[in-house]
Amino acid sequence: MTPLITVDRLTKDYRLTQRREGVLGGLVDLVRPRKRVLRAVDAVSFTIAAGEMVGYIGANGAGKSTTIKMLTGILTPTAGEVRVGGLIPYRQRQSYTRHVGVVFGQRTQLWWDLAVVESLRLLQKIYEVPEADYRQRLDFFNELLGLQEFLHQPVRKLSLGQRMRCDLAAALLHAPRLLFLDEPTIGLDVVAKENVRAFLREARDQLNVTVILTTHDLRDIEQLCRRVIIIDHGKVLYDGLLADLRRGPGHRLRLCVDLAEPVPGQQLAALTADLPVNWDGDGTRPEVPTHRHCATFSRAETNAAVILARVLAAHRVRDMALNEPAIEDVVRRIYRDGLILPVKETAVE
Amino acid sequence: MNERIPTVAAVGAAAGGGPAAAVLAPWRRDRRGSLRLYLSFVRLAFLKFLAFRLRYYTGVVSYTIFVAGHAYLYRALFASRPEPLADVRIGGLELAEMITYVAIAWIGRSFTFNNIDRTLSHQIQQGEIAMQLIKPFHVQTVMMFEAAGEAAFRLLLFTLPIMVVVVPVFGIGGPPHSYLIGWTLLSFVLALVINSQLNFLIGCLAFYLKNIDGVIRAKHISLDFLSGVLIPFSFFPAWFQTVVAWLPFQGLTYVPVTIYLGKRLGADLYSAVLVQAAWAVGLFLVGRWLWARAVRAVTLQGG
Repeated sequence: MTPLITVDRLTKDYRLTQRREGVLGGLVDLVRPRKRVLRAVDAVSFTIAAGEMVGYIGANGAGKSTTIKMLTGILTPTAGEVRVGGLIPYRQRQSYTRHVGVVFGQRTQLWWDLAVVESLRLLQKIYEVPEADYRQRLDFFNELLGLQEFLHQPVRKLSLGQRMRCDLAAALLHAPRLLFLDEPTIGLDVVAKENVRAFLREARDQLNVTVILTTHDLRDIEQLCRRVIIIDHGKVLYDGLLADLRRGPGHRLRLCVDLAEPVPGQQLAALTADLPVNWDGDGTRPEVPTHRHCATFSRAETNAAVILARVLAAHRVRDMALNEPAIEDVVRRIYRDGLILPVKETAVE
Repeated sequence: MNERIPTVAAVGAAAGGGPAAAVLAPWRRDRRGSLRLYLSFVRLAFLKFLAFRLRYYTGVVSYTIFVAGHAYLYRALFASRPEPLADVRIGGLELAEMITYVAIAWIGRSFTFNNIDRTLSHQIQQGEIAMQLIKPFHVQTVMMFEAAGEAAFRLLLFTLPIMVVVVPVFGIGGPPHSYLIGWTLLSFVLALVINSQLNFLIGCLAFYLKNIDGVIRAKHISLDFLSGVLIPFSFFPAWFQTVVAWLPFQGLTYVPVTIYLGKRLGADLYSAVLVQAAWAVGLFLVGRWLWARAVRAVTLQGG
């Protein structure tokens, strides 16, 4: 299938002026500014098919926002190319932006002094949305986002959560083919975040929009995206399914058992002495008997069934639980240790 | 404007006849849609300034004081001449004309003035311009129509009140021929366009400079001088007058006011207005060019 978005060796350099120290340095700066080139995005390539919802994640300054700004046509790349549905965003900006919705969590695209509904009416004119479509979509947004209560308030008087709801409606009012979300949940409380996610799920299913989402809250990604692209220092570290990220080597699972009789940890360790498993007694020392024991192991080296079988053969187990590594831990490990899985050349699906 | 638009067929063929889902249709607003959209920016700007109208009441006072200060200065200057007051000419103007010049100049300025440079540079420096760039319109065009909305507000709630005060207080008479009123109004509208284009250009400099407050201050000082609002050009040596004749700034004040005073008639009148119009168009095109360049070079805040 032809990808909707093709990003090919996309690169963006920023030129920064570096200040020298002290008074003398300041004077030297006047005559001879010291320039440094910062490569914010370094030969990034990927493709995204129509209808995908992709998480684009990275630490602060990793190059996420710069990539998004090039994808939305705001920034012009230093090198490389972006093609979206046959258009080049930064060259054919007016044609392109007609098909694009954008939410920058840190900013609003609404008019600060206008009532929300006035802003939406203006957007209707900007994107030439027919009246019937406008009504229908506003109803849809109202139902999911509950805009009614502040539709007639000026944007500057809204809370962050209310403003974000309005911005989401504004970004989707013209039924864009693409939606770029740059940290849409930043600064929101737990309930507001959940509302945003629920809305995005609904919008994805109902509006058939292709979504790229950047965030620092990995629960956004977990709940919304099957595929993630991880970027660090301007380079793609991982591009693939979120699920595969967890299954990679080096990721450790944790099997916890709750025994009927208290047993010292040493006994369990002895059962699996030939396997690469670490037992801990939930905070107790190995010689002290306790009910609860947890084994940490790597899926590449052994598996839960083998460990559990050995425990069951020797003890009565009341309960058990197998914990996947938290996605935060996985990503933290990737930021820290770098690439752990080969970057896939082709898009998922 | 300068967008190259590929044909849908060509894109479809390039995609190997793939599904239409992966192609975005090139899109362009039709003329009527553009007009409706841009008129709504006029309306919104008008409403926005209406909300801040209190700010302008003090302006009526300060503009009146400007005119009064200049009027008394010129009265003293004319009275200091040895010949009888009615025969005194300075820079080719008699006293009544001189005071009319000052009054019309400031009344006109109250209409043509705006802060596009400040608004635009602020948006660029705060990175807010990104939110304009994600929308399918041309920022320059939008700003021009907003300037029109602001001007409409100024005309009704700023310029007219100033006229109501200044005209009777200083006994300002009409132009020597009544048809010149229309030409003066046209000339001031062109002055508004020229001023807005100049301000847009200066605002664009914020893409390249970290702080353009100094540039804006320098502009205010030099424009008050070069537009002729402070002192009529006829006070200056001939070489200076030749220089300013080649600059767009005389179109801000000197041209419309001298039209009002009947100093330009016939061919002189037409050519002055034509030159103003040429500057308006020329500066607009320079603005388009600079904008396209600057946006490409842009480094937005917060990468």
